[in-house]
Amino acid sequence: MTDLLLHNARVLDPAAARDEPGYVAVTDGTISAVGAGAAPEALVNGATQAHDCAGACLAPGLIDMRVQSADPGAEHLEDLSTLLRAAASGGITSIVALPDVSPVVDDASMIDSLSLRANRIEGARLFLYGAATRQLQGHAMAELGLMADAGAVGFANGSRTIMDSLVMRRVLSYCSMLDRPFIQHCEDHNLTAGSEMNEGETSTRLGLIGAPAEAEAMIIDRDMHLVRLSGARYHAAHVSTRAAVDALRRAKNDGLPVTADTAPPYFMLNELSVSTYDTAFKLAPPLRSEDDRQAVIDALADGTIDAIASDHIPVDGDAKAQPFGPAQPGASGLDTLLAMTLSLVHREHLPLLRAMELLSLAPATILDLEGGMLREGATADIVLFDPQASWVVRAADFASTSRVTPFEGLPVQGRVTASWVGGTQVFLRT
Amino acid sequence: MASTTAPPAGLSSRHLLGIEGLNPLEINSLIDRGNVFADIIQSDNRFAPPLSEVLRGRTVLNLFFENSTRTRVSFELAAKNLGGSVLNINVAGSSVKKGETLLDTATTLNAMHPHILVVRHNCSGAAQLLSQHVDAAVINAGDGRHEHPTQALLDALTIKRRIGRIEGLKIAICGDIANSRVARSNIHLLSTLGAEIRLVCPTTLLPAAIDAMGVDVFTDLEAGIEGVDIVMMLRLQTERMEGTETPSQREYFNLFGLDRNKLMRAAPQALIMHPGPMNRGVEIDSATADDVERSLIRTQVEIGVAARMACLEALVGTGGAS
Repeated sequence: MTDLLLHNARVLDPAAARDEPGYVAVTDGTISAVGAGAAPEALVNGATQAHDCAGACLAPGLIDMRVQSADPGAEHLEDLSTLLRAAASGGITSIVALPDVSPVVDDASMIDSLSLRANRIEGARLFLYGAATRQLQGHAMAELGLMADAGAVGFANGSRTIMDSLVMRRVLSYCSMLDRPFIQHCEDHNLTAGSEMNEGETSTRLGLIGAPAEAEAMIIDRDMHLVRLSGARYHAAHVSTRAAVDALRRAKNDGLPVTADTAPPYFMLNELSVSTYDTAFKLAPPLRSEDDRQAVIDALADGTIDAIASDHIPVDGDAKAQPFGPAQPGASGLDTLLAMTLSLVHREHLPLLRAMELLSLAPATILDLEGGMLREGATADIVLFDPQASWVVRAADFASTSRVTPFEGLPVQGRVTASWVGGTQVFLRT
Repeated sequence: MASTTAPPAGLSSRHLLGIEGLNPLEINSLIDRGNVFADIIQSDNRFAPPLSEVLRGRTVLNLFFENSTRTRVSFELAAKNLGGSVLNINVAGSSVKKGETLLDTATTLNAMHPHILVVRHNCSGAAQLLSQHVDAAVINAGDGRHEHPTQALLDALTIKRRIGRIEGLKIAICGDIANSRVARSNIHLLSTLGAEIRLVCPTTLLPAAIDAMGVDVFTDLEAGIEGVDIVMMLRLQTERMEGTETPSQREYFNLFGLDRNKLMRAAPQALIMHPGPMNRGVEIDSATADDVERSLIRTQVEIGVAARMACLEALVGTGGAS
């Protein structure tokens, strides 16, 4: 007996290069049939629940591989419940959270505890990165093996690069042994100390301290030597510069096990947005030059950048209501991830299937997660969206309780209609 | 008594947040009006009506998040000369230390209904942020590394009173450009009025892409001041520095400090300026700084009051302080 039938849809499956009218059937949380054209009458009549998609796009649920949670430690900003429900409303069926919460996710009990709590919430699935070093201090390695056993899908040092090359080598060596990827925030903190925005003409004009773009590529270049030594899978997070893209391209050409993601601000905006000192544009990494933005778009198109993540950070409005320098970096991203990525499709930078690959198949592959495809036997994490539906970004309307966005007031096209996690509907736009 | 009949300066904005964005008419009008006020101050008729009626019934709050006796007193005198009530609030020593944010402070002050806020803050953009949350007109008295518009106006007025023009002058701005709001405001203002601007500093104190602001850059002081009409020295802002930009103060003075020997490379009657306070023996030696024939440093302080009077009056005229 089919539990759910989603028919009269435009079925998108990047794993099968499928983009055609069709249907998807779900039984016991798993996709039991995918077909082209109209669903067989027997399937329609035999389904417990049939959903006419009215020609909208049916795709693997989005997998957001870089999300900052505020729970535990700052639940007033956003707790796990609102985070996972907001993700579901953005078409995201799995999120992978960074370890920088309070207390830090640097031991197995934190992984257990958060996973158990997430299982009780109807919304997106929660996966966790373990902290690579104790308390994210960058000095002593955390208990990576125990965290891997508890379910850590990879390791990261949060928003801090491990600057000590010996520690970094040891972490990569352990990640290789455990067959987990290491996720790097690429920034030479010695070079960017005190910085407030991207270095260039705009920072000079505004009197803000600039961070050179090279600080991102320098870490990638250093780490590539250590990847050669360790054989670890290495993932560069929120890549934002042409220099970093070039470094990644070299590494990939050399056959190193390297992947990368970027986030919507880095292909949608450039440093000129900072000109009004609006702290919604204070991000880490900072908004870069127009040349960098173009390089990021090119890298998404040619495969140098493998995935797009939301880079969601719940930010306190008070922490943004400050002068630009001391204001906290970060912004909300769950509600806008799909629409911003689709803008690359509408502007003909990417085909629609490539966009879906960046948002689902690629993160699933990088992190060895289920999902990311619509084929028989796959987990039924699915998103339904109308790629043409137009709306205007208004943070006040976000499902996320974190309502700071650099895209405020931007007209966009593409909106989530419904999402299912394991065949259970977790969001329906009414 | 000097004439006060010249038309008051006009601004298109209700705030004065920076020189960037002001057009030559606005800048010239502020300088011309400052010139009238400078004459009045020197004739000691500054408290005579009708001048003393301009700010009558209006309150000026000097809100200094960063210490600066010179600028604060200059604004205070300027406001009092125009008949305004002045309150000085050293925020660095009060509510901020108790955890209040900049916008909390703004809200509190707004409830007291001041007409003009004169704001000094160590963060770039702070004056602009405040201006968006208060009803008063805001004058930026220096924000981080961004702008110090009244300093640039007083510098321009000082030059104009001494030389009679700004257009066509060769002006070298020397020293800690990266950390200097004075440099940015002066680059905007002096180049807008037709001066040729050179910057002289070590590469470690040179901000990125500064040449996009239409300046020539030199890393050799003697080459940089060759033939210039004005040598504008900047303070080495050690409090803003990490301590790694220059090897030592001794070396800095040898390479980038101004003394009589190096000054000989400038035009024969070249004048020296400095926004103060000076580090004697670091960016300038005492003999040069105190040379009454060449140094305009004291005059800058004197002219500062007049320039700020022009700014305060202009904001009243644009309705920002009503």
